[in-house]
Amino acid sequence: MIVTRSKPIEEIMDQIDQIMDQKICVIGCSLCAGKLKTGGEPEVKNMIRQLQDKRVNVIDGVVLKHACSIESWESLIKEQPVISDAEVLLVMSCGIGVSLLGRLCDKIVIPALDTVSLGAALNDEILLEMCSMCGQCTVGFFSGLCPKSGCPKSQLNGPCGGSNDGECEVRERKCIWTRIYEVMEAKNMLSMLNETLSPTEYNRGL
Amino acid sequence: MGLEEAIRSGKFIVTAEICPPKGTDISGLFSEAALLQGIVDAVNVTDCPRAMVRMSPLVLSSELIKMNIDTIMHLTCRDRNRIAIQSDLLAAHALGIRNVLAMSGDFTTMGDHPYAKPVFDLDSVQMLQVITKMNRGFDLMDNPLGGATSLYAGAVVNPGARPLGFVRIKLQKKISAGARFIQTQAVFDADLFNEFMDEFKSLNIPVIAGIIPLRSAKSAGFMIENIPGVKIPQAAINRMESASDPVTEGLKIAAETIDRIKENCQGVHIMPIGNHDHTKRLLEMCSLL
Ligand code: SF4
Ligand code: SF4
Repeated sequence: MIVTRSKPIEEIMDQIDQIMDQKICVIGCSLCAGKLKTGGEPEVKNMIRQLQDKRVNVIDGVVLKHACSIESWESLIKEQPVISDAEVLLVMSCGIGVSLLGRLCDKIVIPALDTVSLGAALNDEILLEMCSMCGQCTVGFFSGLCPKSGCPKSQLNGPCGGSNDGECEVRERKCIWTRIYEVMEAKNMLSMLNETLSPTEYNRGL
Repeated sequence: MGLEEAIRSGKFIVTAEICPPKGTDISGLFSEAALLQGIVDAVNVTDCPRAMVRMSPLVLSSELIKMNIDTIMHLTCRDRNRIAIQSDLLAAHALGIRNVLAMSGDFTTMGDHPYAKPVFDLDSVQMLQVITKMNRGFDLMDNPLGGATSLYAGAVVNPGARPLGFVRIKLQKKISAGARFIQTQAVFDADLFNEFMDEFKSLNIPVIAGIIPLRSAKSAGFMIENIPGVKIPQAAINRMESASDPVTEGLKIAAETIDRIKENCQGVHIMPIGNHDHTKRLLEMCSLL
């Protein structure tokens, strides 16, 4: 899941300040942003209300099934004709949806969210920094856990000096290396941690 | 005698830490260096500690070398990718710097530029591998260099961190990657340190123990809050609280710690809060001068 956070309304207003009179359509996404309550139906409605209070010319709001995967612009406006009447799209999806709309249409496209992490949804809990798409997956050395993304310092070869008694010195959560150690110990794979991993080969898949 | 030679000779090493200025004026460095000249084997020059913007350690290390003081330049993985790391290592060699302390570095959000992009392209083990390669005359991608570096690489470990099995993973890798000496984070608890040394003595690597003389009970509190991994025993804090002359009390506590660990390690590394006004006194108190 792609984790997003709502931008402060002031930051959104700064972006639409000059184009307030143009016809604005708010676009949500029911997938990750919907589940995270940053860009689903209620959030889109709430955004419309806030913008109207500030006298922004909002014409409507729609929630796409998945803003990151669109067949074509034509099929999109066929499904949601109101989009074609708009001059500005304020998009409440992750950066992928925003980028895709930005290149598909000739309208002004503005993000309403910040995209912060690739996470996981575990029941009601959102786990952040589960993968940072490094391009060379090495979690096989850690029985699936990822220190490149789970450790803010991307320590591939063991914990940093600040890791102590299990807590991460940076984030308010368990040190990923404590987790790795526990998992590897439980699975009888501790000796695998003695292997020194070489620097990641970034960009190789692009 | 340079640091490498001093360590090899088996002598008890004393190093001390200097932090480059936040600004362009380096005159303060010369007065600090004058206090240390002749009483330490080498001076560590830090690399934007606690992720605060400061002058590059390259410049100050090179200035100290001109004063005939051997230096240990800190180099973090926080602000440089592998290209910049190698570039800075080549520069260090050219400037006459021979000792480099490879470290991950404090995280960006701790400092005065919390929105900086954290780099961490390499980790400290990989940085040590790079140094080893460059000492053989090759860069990380095995391209030949026009001249090999001759850098003596050190690594950092927190001797207070537990469990020790957890600490061992990386320490062992650092040594295999090319670390030739270890400098530790601050030791306040001699028992914890000695337990650490008992566990790792068989690794046969010179260990220089970090020492921070406390200046006040407040500074102890600040360190516990702000320096990751620091453990200060309550007894020391109590002594600082009731001391009529806290600075002297802090030096006494540090000297006692040194006395209790010096049989177990090959040196101490003095990292005062503020300046080195009392470093000489501390070394005298524990008969290291
Ligand atoms: S190793 Fe790379 S690809 Fe694999 S989970 Fe971690 S960040 Fe993602
Ligand atoms: S405490 Fe653990 S997770 Fe946090 S930065 Fe250090 S190694 Fe990474």
